[in-house]
Amino acid sequence: MIVDDNPGKNWRALDGLHLDVRGLAPPEPMVAILELIETLSDDENLVIVHHFCDPVFIYPELAERGWSCKIVPGDSDEVRLHLRKQL
Amino acid sequence: MNSPAAFLGGAKDRLLPASIPFRFFAAACIFHILAWSFLLIGAENLSKFDGEMGFVLAALHLLTLGVFVLTAMGASYQLLPVATLSPLKNIWPVRLSFWLVVPGTLLLATGMSDATMTFLYAGGALLGAGLAVFAFLLTDNLLRARKAMPIVTAHGWGALAALAGFVALGLILLGDLFNNILDDHQMISHIHMVVAVFGFMGLLSFGFSHILIPMFALSRGLPPRQAWLQFASAIFAVGFAVVAVTINNLYVWVGAFVFGLCACFLYLNLMGHAFKTAMRKRLGLSFVMIKLSWGLLIAGMLTGLLVALKLDIPNGSTLFGFLIIVGWLLTFMSGILQRIIPFLTSMHAVGKNGMPPLLSELTAKSPLKIHAVCHFCALTLCATGIVTDISYFVIAGALTGLIGAIAFAVFAGLAMSKLRKNSD
Repeated sequence: MIVDDNPGKNWRALDGLHLDVRGLAPPEPMVAILELIETLSDDENLVIVHHFCDPVFIYPELAERGWSCKIVPGDSDEVRLHLRKQL
Repeated sequence: MNSPAAFLGGAKDRLLPASIPFRFFAAACIFHILAWSFLLIGAENLSKFDGEMGFVLAALHLLTLGVFVLTAMGASYQLLPVATLSPLKNIWPVRLSFWLVVPGTLLLATGMSDATMTFLYAGGALLGAGLAVFAFLLTDNLLRARKAMPIVTAHGWGALAALAGFVALGLILLGDLFNNILDDHQMISHIHMVVAVFGFMGLLSFGFSHILIPMFALSRGLPPRQAWLQFASAIFAVGFAVVAVTINNLYVWVGAFVFGLCACFLYLNLMGHAFKTAMRKRLGLSFVMIKLSWGLLIAGMLTGLLVALKLDIPNGSTLFGFLIIVGWLLTFMSGILQRIIPFLTSMHAVGKNGMPPLLSELTAKSPLKIHAVCHFCALTLCATGIVTDISYFVIAGALTGLIGAIAFAVFAGLAMSKLRKNSD
C-alpha cells in the first residue's frame, strides 16, 4: 500500500499508481480517489483507478482540483479510469 | 470533442439530459414564489388554520406538491439511477409526469384558494395521473436496484408506499367534497398530511441524506446498523402517527413522537458521523441551511409532543405543522437544492478547455445570502404570528419569504443560464 489509511487498495506498477475502489459503498470510492490525489506529490500526475461503475458524481470534484478523467479499456469486471492532473 | 460525453467518458448513460432534472427544479423555484404569495394573501387565516379551503391550504399544497414533490421527482429521476446503477429505460414518461404534475398542482391550488370544484377535480385527476407515473418509474428503478445502496433503497420503498397512500387519500378527500362519502373528513385529511409529510417527504429526505450529505461533505460511509435502526424508528413513527390520528389515543400519540424523536436523533448522529470523517471542512451556506433545518425538525417534533401531551401552546398544532413543513422541509430543500443545482450544471456543462465549469463559478453567492436572511426572518415572523395570533407578523413573514424565494429563483436562473452558455 502506498497510502495506508485510504479506504481503497492502492499500489504502484510500471504504468503508474493504481487505486482499486471496487467493493466500497458510495460515496467511499469518491472519497478514496480524492484523498489519494490530494496526498500525491507535485510530480505525480497519473492515477489509474479500478472502479465498479462510471463515477459521474466525481467529475465536478476532479475539475475543482484540476484533474481530468478518461475511461480506458480494462478488465471485464471493472471500469478503468485514467485520472490526469491538468498541467 | 468538447462535450460532456467526452469528459464523462461514457458515463452519460445514467445521466439524464440536463433539461429533465432542471425543469423540475425550475418549476419548484416558481412554486416556491407562488407558495409565499398565496400565504401572503391568506395570512390572517394562518394561525387558526385546520385544513379548511382557502389561500393557506392552497399555499400548503403549492409548497408540498409544487416545491417538495417536484424537487423530489427531479432528484429521484437524476440521482437514483446513478445511486442504484440502473439507468431509466425511457425518458418520455419522466416528461409526461412533469406535464401532468405541474398543471395539476396549479389547478388544485387555484381550486383550493376559492373552492372551485372544477379546478379541484381537474387538478386532482392530473396530479393522480402524474404521481402514478412517478410511482411506476420509481418502482421500476428500485426493483432493478438489486443490492445497490440497500439503506437508500429501503427509504425509497417506504416513501413509495407513502406516496401511494397520500395520493389515494387525497383523491378520496376530493371525492368526499362532491359525494359526502366520508364519516370523518378531517381525520382522513390529517392522516393524508401525516403520510405525505412524514411518510413520503420525511423518508425521502432521510434516505437521500444517507447519500447526499456524505457525498457533499466527502465523508467515509455511514455505520449501517445505526442507519437501519434509524429507518426502522422512522417507519414505526409514521405507523404510530397514523394509528394515533385514527383512534386519537394519547399513549399512541406519545409513542409516535418518541419513535419520531429516536429516528431524528439516530439520523442526526449519523450525519454527525459524516461530518467527523469529512474531507471538506468548510461546507458553506448550504450546510448552514441544512443544519438549521435539522434544528427546526427537533423543535417541531418537541412542539408536537407537547401538543400531544395537552400542554397549552397557543395555536400549537399549527405551529407544529409550520415548524415541520416550512421550518424543516423547506429549509432542508433549499439547502440541498443550492448544492445540487451547481453540481448538476457542472456535470452537464463543459467549458472551453473541455473541463466542467468549477462549482464555485456556478454558485451566485449574493442571491443565496439574501435568501438565507429572508428565509430565517420569514420563519421567525410567521412562527411569532402563529403563537401571538397577530396576522401582521404573518404578513411581514410571508412578504420576507417571498423576497427570499425570488432571490433563490435568481440564483437558480443564473446557474441554469451558465449551463446553456457553456453547452452552446
